[in-house]
Amino acid sequence: MLSGDGRLRILVVEDDRKIAKALVEGLEGNSYAVTLAHSGEDGFFLASSQPFDLILLDVMLPGRNGLEILSAIRKQGSRIPVLLLTARDAVEDRVMGLDSGADDYLVKPFAFPELLARVRALARRGIADIPTVLKILDLNMDVLSRSVTRGEQPIDLTPREFELLEYLLRSQGRVVSREMLSRDVWKETMRHTSLDNVIDVHMRRLRNKVDEGFPKKLLHTVRGVGFVLKAERP
Amino acid sequence: MKQLWPSHVRTRLTLWYVAILAAVLVIYGGSTSAVLLYQMRGQLDHVAIEDLETVEGFFAFGPDGNLHLPSEYHDHPYSPEMQERFVEVRAEDGALLYRKERLGDQVLGGNPEPGEGVDSYSPRSVRLDTGTPVRVISRRHTIEGRSTLIRLGFSEGLMWQRFWQTVVGLLLGLPLALGLAGIGGYYLARRALRPVERMARRAHEIHAEHLGTRLEVENPYDELGLLGQAFNETLARLERSFEQLKRFTSDASHELRTPLTAIRSVGEVGLQRDGDSSHYREVIGSMLEEAGRLSRLVEGLLGMARADSGQVKLEQTSISVLSFVREATCLIEVLSEEKGQILSIGGDNSVGVIGDPIVLRRVVMNLLDNAIKYSPTGGRVGVRILRSDATTVAIEIEDNGPGIALEHREKIFHRFYRIDEGRSRDAGGAGLGLAIAKWGAEVHKGRLELDSSSTGCVFRLLLPLAVESLRDPAA
Repeated sequence: MLSGDGRLRILVVEDDRKIAKALVEGLEGNSYAVTLAHSGEDGFFLASSQPFDLILLDVMLPGRNGLEILSAIRKQGSRIPVLLLTARDAVEDRVMGLDSGADDYLVKPFAFPELLARVRALARRGIADIPTVLKILDLNMDVLSRSVTRGEQPIDLTPREFELLEYLLRSQGRVVSREMLSRDVWKETMRHTSLDNVIDVHMRRLRNKVDEGFPKKLLHTVRGVGFVLKAERP
Repeated sequence: MKQLWPSHVRTRLTLWYVAILAAVLVIYGGSTSAVLLYQMRGQLDHVAIEDLETVEGFFAFGPDGNLHLPSEYHDHPYSPEMQERFVEVRAEDGALLYRKERLGDQVLGGNPEPGEGVDSYSPRSVRLDTGTPVRVISRRHTIEGRSTLIRLGFSEGLMWQRFWQTVVGLLLGLPLALGLAGIGGYYLARRALRPVERMARRAHEIHAEHLGTRLEVENPYDELGLLGQAFNETLARLERSFEQLKRFTSDASHELRTPLTAIRSVGEVGLQRDGDSSHYREVIGSMLEEAGRLSRLVEGLLGMARADSGQVKLEQTSISVLSFVREATCLIEVLSEEKGQILSIGGDNSVGVIGDPIVLRRVVMNLLDNAIKYSPTGGRVGVRILRSDATTVAIEIEDNGPGIALEHREKIFHRFYRIDEGRSRDAGGAGLGLAIAKWGAEVHKGRLELDSSSTGCVFRLLLPLAVESLRDPAA
């Protein structure tokens, strides 16, 4: 179920025009075909009349709220992946969201790289394709033997640095935020400032090991957003 | 539908009071009357017995064979009861030997009962044919060799009259007594409840803006005084949390304003001149950094608000303190490595606590982060685990920073409090770290202490020892 040009189709239901515009532009910039609905009713109409691969649904909508729309969509028997966007940072809401049939949720304010990662994960759902050999340019990683080389030169990494690099390699070309790292690499349930500093230190050390002495830099910091592993300058 | 049961407490109290008093008075009056009747009968019996003993000596058989009672005996009535004396004498076989003329044809009992008047006077109450109630006693007596039964009767009329007079007197007095008691009770109840009215009036005047008002407590030891005090204590608590809320709100808006201002001015200044893409990248990156700070702050505030309202549910897990702290230290020790500090950890590895690992980890990490931040480059940070007493474990985190001046020591645990505004913001703190640590300690029934000197600080997290560590200190 892809659009004519092979792109994944995403329905965005969001009433705030600024956020909606940012979401549409950001997703289109990442090669998704995006349709926007500004109200729950429009969203429900579009969802029931056109085929989509994913719905991005805001919870706080005027008129019928996101959870009502979601349960209406599920009542129609649709199993389309739904990512809820919620401003309410309360456990009950999260539980309620997942109970009502959402596949995942994201609490506002969220970082855009995080949103992209979730969208990708949901769209890819069911496709088990986890490569064990990762590479970018002349950097190679073998996950099974836990060896890393750049060019001919082996790189010695601590376990934490290895995990970090593996994560960056798997998301290469895409920006990862500190939130994502703290959750996915450090497995921390709560975010705190000290951990951000810890992440920065590890990232600096990793950069020294990976990029130091090589003319082509791979690990870049995107100020205010996060980090990206990329062959050329972002 | 109108309610029959009165709504005022004082009226209800009075009604109860009067009802109980009436019941008590009825029981009291009834038993008093019964005792009175018993005593009056006893007295009558006593008089009758004395009289019988006098009278039996006067009987004599006349020449006509009839039994006579000298008439002079009647002339000496010495008590009012005597006036109504009835006498009847019967032979063993029941034949009437003598009957006082006042009786006429009426009988004081028929044939002698077996045993009547033999060993006792057999006192009993009977009713004559005319309806007169009479107290009768009997006595076997031998007159001139003939066995007779003398019966002496006294009218109970006077006794009953007195009895009923007393009963009527009591009954007449009852409504009066109840009426007076009711009035008195109502007055007393109203008087006793007057402080309640005053308190209610006073309580009406208390608003969110006037939480400083307190109820007047006349006597702090009586029931109403206790109520008033309890109310006042509640008010004090309310006032405190209200103050806290106000301070928190103003702090929060201040804290939020700073990154907002930064975003705004960076954006405005960035737009003032045309630049290349790297210029705009720089501007946007800077704005995003502030936005990140803003969302972390909001997250922290929400977390605090949730903690304040008691919405945080703690997991209760058994935690081995030393390995737990070591793990938290591991995560963060790169920060001290970067500053060339020596981070040491050690102590008693037998102690355990019961608590929420996520919350406690946050507490330890905040304290460690703080210690690393304020210890100089090349300095040292020490973590020690020890039993501070039989039931408490102490996690001491020591730095060799500049220490904390006396005037700041209490306040550094307050939210958003920063000793040095500029420095802490550079270090990335939102001013919540120690407040969160303090909260985390308190929800685990522990506390957070601070020792400080010019050569550094020791933050001491005290937590209750887990039971298994209490039982077996060597384990």
